Amino acid sequence: MTIRMIFSATATATLALAFASPAFAAYDGTHCKKPGVCWEPQPGYPEQLVGSKYDPHFDPAELAKQQESEDAMVARNKARTAYFIKTGTWVEDVNQIPK
Amino acid sequence: MVCANGETRTTKRRSLMNRACILLAGVAMVSVGVARANEKLVELSKDNGNWVMNGRTYEAQNYSPLTQISTSNVKNLRVAWSFSDGVLNGHEGAPLVVNGMMYIQSPFPNRTFALNLDNPGRIVWENNPKQSSAARSVACCDVVNRGLAYWPGDDTTAPLLFKNLLDGHLVAMDAKTGKTVWKIENNDIRVGSTLTGAPYVVKDEVLTGSSGAELGVRGYITAYDVHTGAQKWRAYATGSDESMLIGKNFNITNPQYGTSDLGLETWQDNGWKIGGGTNWGWYAYDPQENLIYYGSGNPSPWNATMRPGDNKWTMTIFGRDADTGMAKFGYQKTPHDEWDYAGVDVMMLSEQRDKNGKLRKLLTHPDRNGIVYTLDRTNGDLVSANKIDDTVNWVRHVDMKTGIPVRDPEYATYMDHKARGVCPAAMGYHNQGFDSYDPQKQRFMLGANHLCMDWEPFMLPYRAGQFFVGATLSIYPGPKGNRQTGEGSGQIKSYDAITGKMSWSKMERFAVWGGTMSTAGNLVFYGTLDGFIKARDSRTGELLWKFKLPSGVVGNPITFEHKGVQYVAIYYGVGGWPGVGLVFDLTDPSAGLGAVGAFKEMAHYTQQGGGVMVFSLNGKGPYDDVNLGEYEN
Repeated sequence: MTIRMIFSATATATLALAFASPAFAAYDGTHCKKPGVCWEPQPGYPEQLVGSKYDPHFDPAELAKQQESEDAMVARNKARTAYFIKTGTWVEDVNQIPK
Repeated sequence: MVCANGETRTTKRRSLMNRACILLAGVAMVSVGVARANEKLVELSKDNGNWVMNGRTYEAQNYSPLTQISTSNVKNLRVAWSFSDGVLNGHEGAPLVVNGMMYIQSPFPNRTFALNLDNPGRIVWENNPKQSSAARSVACCDVVNRGLAYWPGDDTTAPLLFKNLLDGHLVAMDAKTGKTVWKIENNDIRVGSTLTGAPYVVKDEVLTGSSGAELGVRGYITAYDVHTGAQKWRAYATGSDESMLIGKNFNITNPQYGTSDLGLETWQDNGWKIGGGTNWGWYAYDPQENLIYYGSGNPSPWNATMRPGDNKWTMTIFGRDADTGMAKFGYQKTPHDEWDYAGVDVMMLSEQRDKNGKLRKLLTHPDRNGIVYTLDRTNGDLVSANKIDDTVNWVRHVDMKTGIPVRDPEYATYMDHKARGVCPAAMGYHNQGFDSYDPQKQRFMLGANHLCMDWEPFMLPYRAGQFFVGATLSIYPGPKGNRQTGEGSGQIKSYDAITGKMSWSKMERFAVWGGTMSTAGNLVFYGTLDGFIKARDSRTGELLWKFKLPSGVVGNPITFEHKGVQYVAIYYGVGGWPGVGLVFDLTDPSAGLGAVGAFKEMAHYTQQGGGVMVFSLNGKGPYDDVNLGEYEN
């Protein structure tokens, strides 16, 4: 084997190793599309989850429950504080607040 | 506008003018009142007889100028008095001391006690709220509570104490009587949302956060009017800029951190609606900048494969306008978190010269991800970012120009892969401990964890109100500890934020979970999970004194002066995340999100308890008068 062949084989192997190495190819957070947007999928993992092996199958009704609950709490709190400001009495049960 | 007589136009116009004048006069009066209340709180906080807020002052330094107890006599500290609050579980945080009264807050069911320092043997009042026991079942990591907030009162409203209830309520109590003045719904346990953090008072508003990112809760911070409980503003951790109170000037000084629309753009499939970022940690405030500072927590679920993207603005140090809630800056420390490095840790404010000799207003934050960040708190500039310990391995370094952590892919976590030997563990190299800053020495005294982990994710559905984690963890002491015995999982350190060096570092048997308190007596105090309160020389780290408490410690010490005597007080009551094995009698090492295995040896050193222990030199205190509080016929 000539020196040139050895060099060539070594270079090819090095290049192959470099691309195969997780430390080279995997997500390290430094390749950003724009400021603050730097996530990349791990090699072999999908960019988009929906329809993929890792689709979380979110149920929109379940995802909406927190906001619905928060909106309801805000409305009840408004009724409580309005009555408190008006009368100086705190009534926790909004059903007991006089109309 | 002239608000006086002499208006010559139509009656309607005059009426409008009068209304405007009245409104302006009202605003002016409110402004004066607000300024007075804030000034009063600042004044109280600087009085050595008080510990009026968590962190002692708005700088959140947990530092006292008191010197009666010093390195030369600390060995003479003895118990002056103690109080059991009748509640087991983890006692995080610390009591407050205001004008000769101590206010004590328990874990669930969140009982509050007032004791008079002149005769603490008699309970002045107790506030014992009724709340649903169902709250216990959605608390991720024991049923802790991190304490109270005090508002000093004004011409219209008497002084108030505020507390959060685990079931999601924020309660205002009359500080003199303990009676409930108002009670607001802030969180709903039916969707997994709880409250474990302490409220925080700024001007005439009380701030509170949220808990429950382990159940997919989208976090938010809310400000309420102290007088009425009326909501003033709310800012979410994820979602639209409008809902997050992010405007066009957000990160204007540091656009490389990211600017608009990222609370939606960095998530897929509406994941931001259940994206976590709850803030259950600590706050600080700069009255001159009128900015409050806090950290948002981990994205949800822990399984990172299920939420592609940078997941903004979880894991973020926020600086927000105290009056409007608008975010001035946000720096995300751990984009697309893969390890549960919830960044709600303490924010300590200082003024120091940077490496170029420029005097700067700084914010220093030891993060769960193992990096101690120091920012310019006026605009969010990153000043330094150094590893708490050289064994941190998920990140190689932080790029100081972009603020990006340069990750080591070897320690990434993702589906169909078990990551091994990740340091820190999910519990962090730092967690909820309220640490201290000694301004004389310009050193931060850090109570640290030394824990690493193996992590294996799994898929799971989201159901509101149910746990939504998606990872199995094995946690064990870091490389400097002993993995055979399960000990050596904590450290106590003195950190220089300018040079990035540790002045000294000492190992502890278990994580130093509760934080530290420093004094001008060259001392740093802290409690340990195995049940000691300790004092070290803050210059050298030399251990000078310790005392065995009835139970382990997850809170931070405080100190105050009363009638010429300096006292040191600390909660005992093991629990919190590291104590879940003890608290709930768990033995599976992976239970408690990995904490049971990590702290399996703790049961050989301590058991449950709950209360406060108060120390002074030679135990000097009110009961030196043996007749004090005696029954008199």
